[in-house]
Amino acid sequence: MNEDAKLHDAARRLGVQAAEKLDVERIAARVVERLREAPVAATRPAWLQPAWLRIAAAVVVLVGGGGLVWRQFGNPAAPHGAHFVTDDLTDLSADQLRDVLNTLDETLNLGSTTLPDGDLEDLDAQQLQAVLRSLEG
Amino acid sequence: MAQPQSLAASISPAPDSALIAAWQRGEEQAAAELVQRHARALARFLAGAGAPEADLEDLVQETFIRAFRAVDRFRGHCQFRTWLLTIGGNVLKDHGRRAARHKVVPLDEGLADRDGDPHERAEAGEAEARLAAGVGELPRLQREVFLLRAQQGLEYDEIAAALDTTEGAARVHYHHAVKRLKERLL
Repeated sequence: MNEDAKLHDAARRLGVQAAEKLDVERIAARVVERLREAPVAATRPAWLQPAWLRIAAAVVVLVGGGGLVWRQFGNPAAPHGAHFVTDDLTDLSADQLRDVLNTLDETLNLGSTTLPDGDLEDLDAQQLQAVLRSLEG
Repeated sequence: MAQPQSLAASISPAPDSALIAAWQRGEEQAAAELVQRHARALARFLAGAGAPEADLEDLVQETFIRAFRAVDRFRGHCQFRTWLLTIGGNVLKDHGRRAARHKVVPLDEGLADRDGDPHERAEAGEAEARLAAGVGELPRLQREVFLLRAQQGLEYDEIAAALDTTEGAARVHYHHAVKRLKERLL
């Protein structure tokens, strides 16, 4: 017997003894019982397959992360939390507030109907702040 | 005297494909028939690939459970038995991982209960044990190709289809496996 034949002969005997000891009827009964306990369709829906779950998780992370990044850096026009410049001007006097309003008038070209010079002279600090707040919307 | 047609038909076993279809329709007996038909070949494959004898029944059972749960994905690209053996390879791999995690110490082979004459058993067992040890040291693909070819007697095209490789690659894996085993055993 040549070497290949010897090897094949030994390979064919491999595991024979162990396999002969198996109680095949009992295994078949147990397999059927387990399949009955957890039917194929009920074990795991197709959409619950690990691959789909991984894909879904990746989509959630990408969309969620992208949304956060966009809100943080990508959309300068988006409204931020309500914060009025006027709130930072509470320490200014009425004259200083008038200067701010005049500066705004020149910079933004708001027009005389919005900020009549004469009217500003008559307003106190609190009223001037109210005007500034109204300009901020 | 010729047998009646119905009796002859009842004697010839249903092909695996018919049993698979019957199982998919909900016939439990078809699943039991498939288990009875292939369990021993699967057990030989698993034992040859290094499955501990004490765990063999559980591994066979688990392989069939996985196979039946995935049978919708079986496209008939190879025989059902061949497909089953490849699933068995995966089950054994998972079992090996778990065993490594839990540091399971197998029972001494000498303590195992065996039948037959001790002298004959020793001679036959020695060659088998050496081969089993050699097969156990092969890389997984070489091991599976070797067992499918030498132990199960499958053709290369069948092995290639089951392992999702080419016939040429299967031949190369087999060649390397045999070379290593000869170096070790002969």
